[in-house]
Parts: sequence; C-alpha cells; structure tokens
Amino acid sequence: MNTITTEIMKNNKLPFKSGALQQLLAFASLILLIIFFSIASPNFLQFSNIVGILLSTAVIGILALGATFVITTGGIDLSVGTVMTLSSVMTALFVTTLGGPTILGVLVGILTGAFCGLLCGLAIAKMKIPPFIATLAMMMIAKGMALVISGASPIYFTNTPGFSNIALGTIIPGIPNGVIIFFGAAIIGALILSKTIVGRYTFALGSNEEATRLSGVNVDSWKIKIYTIAGVFTGLAGVIMASRLNSAQPALGMGYELEAIAAVVIGGTSLSGGKGTIIGTVIGALIMSVLTNGLRILSVPQEWQTVVVGFVIILAVYADNLRRKKA
Amino acid sequence: MGKALLKMEAISKGFPGVQALSDVNFELQAGEVHSLLGENGAGKSTLMKILTGIYQKDDGEITYLGEKVDITDTKMAQDLGISMIHQELNLMPDLTVAQNIFIGREPRSKLKFLLNENELNKRTQKLFNQLNLNLDPKALIGDLTVAKQQMVEIAKALSFNAKILIMDEPTAALTDSEIDTLFEIIERLRSKGVGIVYISHRMEELKRITDRITIMRDGSYIDTVITKHISIDKIIQMMVGRAIYDNSKPMIETGTDKVILEVKNLNNRVLKNINFELKKGEILGFAGLMGAGRTEVARAIFGADPITSGEILINRKEVQIKAPNDAVRNGIGYISEDRKRFGLMVDMDVKTNIAIASIKDFLNPIGWANDSKIAKVSKEMVQKLGVKTPSINQQLKFLSGGNQQKVVIAKWLTRDCDILIFDEPTRGIDVGAKGEIYKLLNELAEQGKAIIMISSELPEVLRMSHRVMVMCEGRITGELSSENASQESIMNFATQRVSIS
Amino acid sequence: MKKLLTIMVLVSLMFMALTACGSSEEGAGTSQGDVEVGEGELFIPIISKGFQHQFWQAVRKGAEKAGEEYGAVITFEGPESESNVDRQIDMLRSALDNKPDGIGFAALDSQASIPLLQQAQNNNIPIVAFDSGVESDIPISTAATDNKAASALAADKMAEFIDEEGKIALIVHDQTSITGVHRRDGFVEQIKAKYPNIEIVDIQYGGGDHLQSTDLAKAILLAYPDLKGLYGANEGSAIGVVNAVKELNKDGEVVVIGFDSGALQIEAIKSGVMAGAITQNPIGIGYETVKAAVKAAKGEPVEESIDTGFFWYDQNNIDDEEIQAVLYE
Repeated sequence: MNTITTEIMKNNKLPFKSGALQQLLAFASLILLIIFFSIASPNFLQFSNIVGILLSTAVIGILALGATFVITTGGIDLSVGTVMTLSSVMTALFVTTLGGPTILGVLVGILTGAFCGLLCGLAIAKMKIPPFIATLAMMMIAKGMALVISGASPIYFTNTPGFSNIALGTIIPGIPNGVIIFFGAAIIGALILSKTIVGRYTFALGSNEEATRLSGVNVDSWKIKIYTIAGVFTGLAGVIMASRLNSAQPALGMGYELEAIAAVVIGGTSLSGGKGTIIGTVIGALIMSVLTNGLRILSVPQEWQTVVVGFVIILAVYADNLRRKKA
Repeated sequence: MGKALLKMEAISKGFPGVQALSDVNFELQAGEVHSLLGENGAGKSTLMKILTGIYQKDDGEITYLGEKVDITDTKMAQDLGISMIHQELNLMPDLTVAQNIFIGREPRSKLKFLLNENELNKRTQKLFNQLNLNLDPKALIGDLTVAKQQMVEIAKALSFNAKILIMDEPTAALTDSEIDTLFEIIERLRSKGVGIVYISHRMEELKRITDRITIMRDGSYIDTVITKHISIDKIIQMMVGRAIYDNSKPMIETGTDKVILEVKNLNNRVLKNINFELKKGEILGFAGLMGAGRTEVARAIFGADPITSGEILINRKEVQIKAPNDAVRNGIGYISEDRKRFGLMVDMDVKTNIAIASIKDFLNPIGWANDSKIAKVSKEMVQKLGVKTPSINQQLKFLSGGNQQKVVIAKWLTRDCDILIFDEPTRGIDVGAKGEIYKLLNELAEQGKAIIMISSELPEVLRMSHRVMVMCEGRITGELSSENASQESIMNFATQRVSIS
Repeated sequence: MKKLLTIMVLVSLMFMALTACGSSEEGAGTSQGDVEVGEGELFIPIISKGFQHQFWQAVRKGAEKAGEEYGAVITFEGPESESNVDRQIDMLRSALDNKPDGIGFAALDSQASIPLLQQAQNNNIPIVAFDSGVESDIPISTAATDNKAASALAADKMAEFIDEEGKIALIVHDQTSITGVHRRDGFVEQIKAKYPNIEIVDIQYGGGDHLQSTDLAKAILLAYPDLKGLYGANEGSAIGVVNAVKELNKDGEVVVIGFDSGALQIEAIKSGVMAGAITQNPIGIGYETVKAAVKAAKGEPVEESIDTGFFWYDQNNIDDEEIQAVLYE
C-alpha cells in the first residue's frame, strides 16, 4: 500500500501544475506580444488603441465563449458566425421595423441564438447527426434566413439612437460597454463551466461520453442544454455586433466560426474534448486580436498578417501538446 | 440463506448474425455471492448488460424483489439498486476521482444550479474511509494506473447503496493485498444483505468467495451448483464441455543460448538501470507488483515512452528505437495490456486488424491493398489461433475479450516479429482460452521467437517462464531460473524496496 | 520547458523577420511596408473595400504613384470580403490610432463607420472618401466613378447590340453596397426609360465571386434559352457570365457586357466572347484620393466631389493609349 500512496501523492500534484502552466504559458505569450508591439511602435500602447483591441475582441470573444462549451464536449459548432448574424437581424427587425423596446430587442437576439443552439442540439442528440454536419446545416440555414428576413439589405438603427450605446456607450468612462459585456459574459461563462452541473457534464461528455451515459446521466438532454447555452452567447454576440455597426448586416458572419474556434484552441481547449477553460479562451481571443492589431499598426502587409496568424495557431497548439506530454 | 432477490427466467437476446442468449436462467439471493461462469462469448456480459439496462432483452422475465420489472435504461437500473463494475473501465479521464464517483448525482449548494465541490470531496473521502481505500478524491482519473482506476469503479458502484452489485473481473488488475481488501469489502456487503454477482476466471477466487456458481456455455444456461460441493475440474468441464490443459504439464525446453535482445542500463522517468538479456526461443517472465515498472520496460523497449539513457541491442547490434515504428522495423511486437485503448481498432473488421501492422506486404505494385491475399492470410490466422468469429469481416467490437486478444497476437504474427512482448496476455480471458494462449506461447517459443511475458498472476509466470525477472519500484530486483522460482521467492524480490518513503 | 522557450523565441524571430520583410518590400517600392515617415513626409493610410481583387490593387497602384509624387507614405488595407463590415471598422480604428495626416476611405457601410469618422473629424484628420464614397458630410472630398451614369452607358450599349428588343438579365455583385445598387439601378432605369421592347427577366447576386456568378449565369441561360444579353456588374460577375457562356457554348449567341477590367475580361473582349465593358479609372481613383488627402492635410482647398471618370471599351479601342492607361490586368 505504501507504493500506491506515494504514487498517488505524486500524481496528485501534476494536474494542478499542468493547469497552472497552461494558463501561464498562454498569458506569457500574450504579454510577450504586447511588449514586442509596444517596443516596435509607439502607437501601439496607447489607451485608445488598447480599447480598440478590446472592442474588436468582444464579438469573436463572446462567440468563442460559447464555442468553448461545445468544443469541450468534443463537439464543434460551425454555425456561430451566421447564427450571430441572424440574431442581429432579428434584433434589428424587432427594434426598428416592429418598433419594440431596445431591451426586449436584446432579448430577442439572445433568444434567437439560443433557439438555433437548441435546434443544433436536438439534431445532434436526437437525430444522431454528427455535430460537424448538424452545425454546418445550421450555418447555411441561418445565413439564408438572415438574408430572407432582412430582405437582403442592412437594417439600420437610425431611429433608435440609443441602440449603439449597448456596445459603444460608456458606463465606466473611457471603456465601451461592449468590452464590459465581454468580460461580464466571460465571468459568467467561467462560473457555468467550473461551478455548475452543466459545466461538470460538459467535461464529462467530452471526456468519455459512453461512461457518462452508463453513469445514468441523460446525455442527450444535457447535450441539448449545452448547445443552447452556446447559442445564448452567440445571440449576445449578434446583439453586440449590431450595436457596434449600428446596423444588422445580413451578409456578414461567414468565417467568424473559424476565428472563434481558433481562439478557443489557442486558449488550450482540446478539440477532442474533455479539456478547456474560459480564461484560456479569453486569452486566446486576445492573442488573435492583439496580433492582428499589432501587425496592422506596424503596417505589415496584409498578405503577411494572415500568414502570421496561421503560424501562431500552429505554434500555440503545438506548445500545448508539448505541455500535455510533459504532464 | 435469504429469499430470492432477483430471478431472471428464460432470457433471450439476439444480435445481427449471432444469438447471444437463449433461454438463460439466473437467480440471486440476498447476502449471496453468486458467480457467473463461462468461456468468452458464453453470454455472461450480455446477460449482465440486460440486467443493468444497457441492452434490452428480446424475451424472458425479470423478477426483482418479488415484482416483475422491465429495465429500460441504466438510470432505471441504478434507481432500482443494481450497479455494475464493468470490466472495460468506464471512467472520465479528465475528471477527478470524486467527480467520477458522483457523476449524475453531484451534491449541490443552496443555489440549486451550483455544485458543492467541498461536499463532493468530503463524501468521497468518507466513502473511501468506509472501504479502507487510500485514494485522493481530487486526483485526476487520467493520471491513475488501471488498478487504481478499477478501485475507483468499485467505490463508485458501492456508493449507490446497491442491493445487487455485479463485478466483472474485479481482481484482474489488483495485487494480492488489494484483492484481500476487496474480499473484506465483499464480506461486509454480504452481511448487509447485498447480492453480489461475481464474474471471474480465477478458480481459486471462486472457491474462496462464492456461494453458488451458474455456468453458461455458448449463450445457453448449463447449471447452477453450490460451490462447496463441487471440484474445480468438474466446473471447468461443465464450462468448456471438454477436458482442458493439464496444469502440471512440464515446461518444454525451447530456450537456446543465442541472445537476441540485450538491454543495458536503461533509464527513464520510471525505470532505473534496467539490464537483461533475452534469448531465442525463450519465454522470459516479468513479475512484480502493480506499478513496479514492468509495463514501462515494455513501453521503453517498444519506443512508446522516451528513454533518458541506456542501450538496446538486437542480435548484438545497437539499435535506436525512438518510436514504435522503429521497434516494429526491428522485429519487435507489443501486445498491450489495454487492448481497447492501444491494441485494436474495435470498429474495424478482423482481417483489417490482422493486416494493419504489415500492410506493406499486402500491397501490389500500384499500391492497392490486395484484398484476397489479406483474406487468405487472415483466414489462416483465424484458424491457427482458433479465433471464434462468424467471419473475418466481423467488426472486432462484437468479439469477446479472449478472441480480441487472439486477433492482436495474429496481427504481430503476421508481421513476423522475432521478439514478442506480451503484457498481461490472459487478462480478462477465461480458463479455456487461457490454455489456448499458453499453448500458443509455447509454440511460438518452439518456432524460435523470443518472448517477454509480463504477468501479475504468479501461477502463470511460474508455469510459462524459462526465466523470471522480478521488478520493484522501477528496478530489477532479482532474476530466477525456472527451477528456483516459486511464489515465495518472487514475492521476496518483488517487495525489496530501497526505502519506504 | 526548454522546447517551450524555443518556441517563444521562434515566434519572436518570426515577427522580426516579417517586419523586416515588410520594410524590404517597401524599399522595392512595390508595396507599403513598415512605416518610416521622414520629416515633412505625410502619412496617409488607405482603407479600401477589398484587397485581393485586381481593381483594388490598381487603386493601390494609383495611390502609391500619388504618394511618391506628393511625398506621402501610403499604406493600403481592405477586408477579405466585402461583407466584412466590422473588419473594415477595425482597420479604420487602427489607422486612426497610428496618428495619420489624412485617411482615404471607401466605406462598406457608411452608417457603421460614422462614430469613427466623427472621431477623425474631432482630431482634425481629413478623410477623403473614394469609390462608393461615404454617406456623410464628414469626408472633405469624394473621389469616385458616377456608377449610375456608367451603368446607364452599359445599358445603351446593350440595347445597341441587341437591336433594342428581347430578353436580358443581370448578374450583380451585391444588393447591399452603394456600387451594387447604383450599377443595378443605373442599368435598369435606363432600359425602362428608353427601351420599352427590352425585358429584364432576372437579376441575381453572386457576391462578386467568379464561381458563384458562373453558376447563377448558367442557371439563367438554361432557364431562358432565348436570352439575348447578360450584364455582369463588376469584374467577378462579368467573368462569371463569360465562363457560363463559354461552358454552355453560347458564345456569339448571347451579348455579354462587363464592368471593370482585369486580365480575364480583357481576354474575353479580345476573343469576342464579351462585346465590351465599362471601365472605371481605378488608378485615377487611387491617385486622386491621395492627392486630395495631401492637399487637405496641407490646408489647401479641395473639391467636394472628384469625378474620376469611366470609359467604354471594346475590341476596337482596347489598344488605345487612353484606355490602356486605365485598364489593369
């Protein structure tokens, strides 16, 4: 029994160490990037640019929060980009065409996202359609519906001047609300993932779905719930997007899902499921936008910006693999 | 003895292409330890999966606590108080021990949707204290060894306050002292009136712990007997329907003097200065307690784990083995202890699994796989090793554990490896199939293959090995010739610790 | 840990290499690069609506030419797709943070960019709108093609080729941008007003994507076998139409009229598949934008609206010097 005890004690330390190391590593990369760009250009580290970075992170970041849940279950959600667009169109329709109050409009957007998530979840859990396919279908459905509902032209919030304040107004002086909403959503997401029953089953599903099922957990129903929660975040992102642009742009959104997934993966969430953190995702999203912004400030040609982002994704995931091997 | 807790009558169940159960009866009383015995594919697992709601029966009746029940899913079985410890571990590696045990019934805090992690760990610790288990509730399952994971499974099943507890090969990965602990727990449960279905192929254990034995063969019910009144030989005969290998048969001397594999001063994370030689035609046993580092030796030689220093020589020439494909190129085959995870592609068919390691031999000049050649070789192998499968096109997941093991062996035989490493070759395999595997190992040795056999079953090590290496805490603590080897001498070396830290 | 450190160092090295690479390209004068704005030099970032398209690259060429002549450093950026409104906003924001002397801006969506333009105005950074312009009074000048007039000319040419009667259809890049709407409306209104015997049977939107436009054009050609003419309202749409006509072996039967230039369109006109096309003056657009921005930055007066012009070109005049100057490959 002695050997067993000592080995358990040894094992015991590893998860703590590796978890901390992962976040430290991602965070260190972020800081390193910021330091690098600050030295390279005096225009990088100025308040308005930092706020700009945070604001442009908000939409992809909130999308990535939802995607973290889905990816941690071992699934994937390709529909977040266009569902976000559909949500913003629904909000715009409600607030402008139907003349509804702004606060309800926000709710309409979020509910649209949740509803699309619910549909994806149903298709995956009940119809046993693989997540990749189910959400690919939803991606197309949402894209089409956004164009149909909007009449294929942008809907402007010209008559509701308060709407752009959702993302661009400043409750805390100098910091746009969109940024605050992003961090608020991240905190809520982190609480759900680490402290609630939904979060626990998110990890359980991604870790070993069959074992979870055999433990008497209603796997189908939780999957549906998790996709719905991801949808709530997507809907929120739609509202923020609409508010930022002061309009709902029905043609927007394709490709955003991949950026959200990239942010999640850079943040150390495993595509095979079972491992993931919200703080990692937030850092991942920040790394992406600091990188884009920094390269832009340095006037690196646009062609090369894309190349760099691609390399960073590879390196981030490789570094994470190395860390896992060590642990 | 008490009244019947459970009655299963005339249970039948068919799968595509195979009738798994026909008219099987089983009865369990409160406070009874009842063994379910049969060869691989006899239908024990299927019967128990019906009882736990994983499969639905086609026909028959289940009476539980005097009432007819229809068990529709696993949740219902749990609610009824029927728990099962599966042979293939069903845990979530990314969750902690406590999280695994209480999955599906996590303690909540006052706000209903928030988890109460403290309470969770406290309850788990309490459970461990009751069971005399020395495990950390907060450890990640993925970081534990198979043996410890199994103990978690047992604790989990017991935590349901089960009235019926089904154990499928619970001791397969446990050391003797751990088995003693388990049996103590079983005794305690028995006195509380819990009915235990005990599935194991270790006859000594059945004699020691069970009250009755129900024997199955080929999906049919054979008989139920009282353990005290029957001999092991008789049980085996009923189980196989024929006489089995002779336990006292002398070892065939196949060893030669030609050293084929030499390991010098091998070190890594776990291993310390491993030195040994393996000769052509020899079966070299590796004995030791759980966690002694035997599997790690195999994995290091096979290139699955990195080594920090040391040399590996094959036919007196030093070779660099950095990854399993280096090992395979040098003629080393590794038959893993965890078939499901490392040895097989369970969703693919028998012939693909056999051909996969040597697929290059089956390619025609254009690069197509030559299907007829694969089929021919697979058929030969299936016949030679006596794999019980309806055809070589059967998916592996429908085969029993013993037959899956034979397919892994067939894979490496097809690759024509000179050095074969068997890690727990008979783990979870019934007595009949065990005899066949032993026979096979002897034949291979006779053909001049060099074999390393890692085993936790001392009788198996003593029966099969020409020489025995004993390990403890990552070191080789002793080498015994077959004449000098005994259970006592092995245990002596196996517990030779440097220091008790 | 050693490997992790190596990776970090590698990443940093990669950035250095890339920024250096940017500068060397700058030195060669083919591209914008790391900005080394010298004393007295002006810094003018250009935010365009696109990047990969030949049209935008021609605008870039014109802008760089003006930059050299007027002593201004130019950077040129645009989102990957013309639907990426928010990306363009981010680019505009970064450009503002880089403390420019003026900005050239072609808005994908005017509404969405107004808060930032407001900010530019407050910081006294002059904005010159180009291409489709910006629907706001903040830009001090707009350098653009009169797309409606240009498209009306295309309609006249179409009518001429099909003898003022029969069925025709349009492939337009999108229905949300001002260019898309103007080019569609300019054409449709002209036909309705002047040619009562011509029927527009279908208008489809292909996002300016070659492949998608090809599929749309093919579908139209199959649905209306008696179709007499097809108009592609930008480079991608026009090439889509050309592809469709070729794939269905209808060259000669259907009159194809395009917009903008590019190697494929020029080739189609030379080979006769395309009757002709309208070209804007993208080089002129870029040039005039930078010129206006420089003037404004120096406090000189600028015209409120600069018409950069358009031309009809076909087999007959494609090699004329005047046309060659505005075509891009």
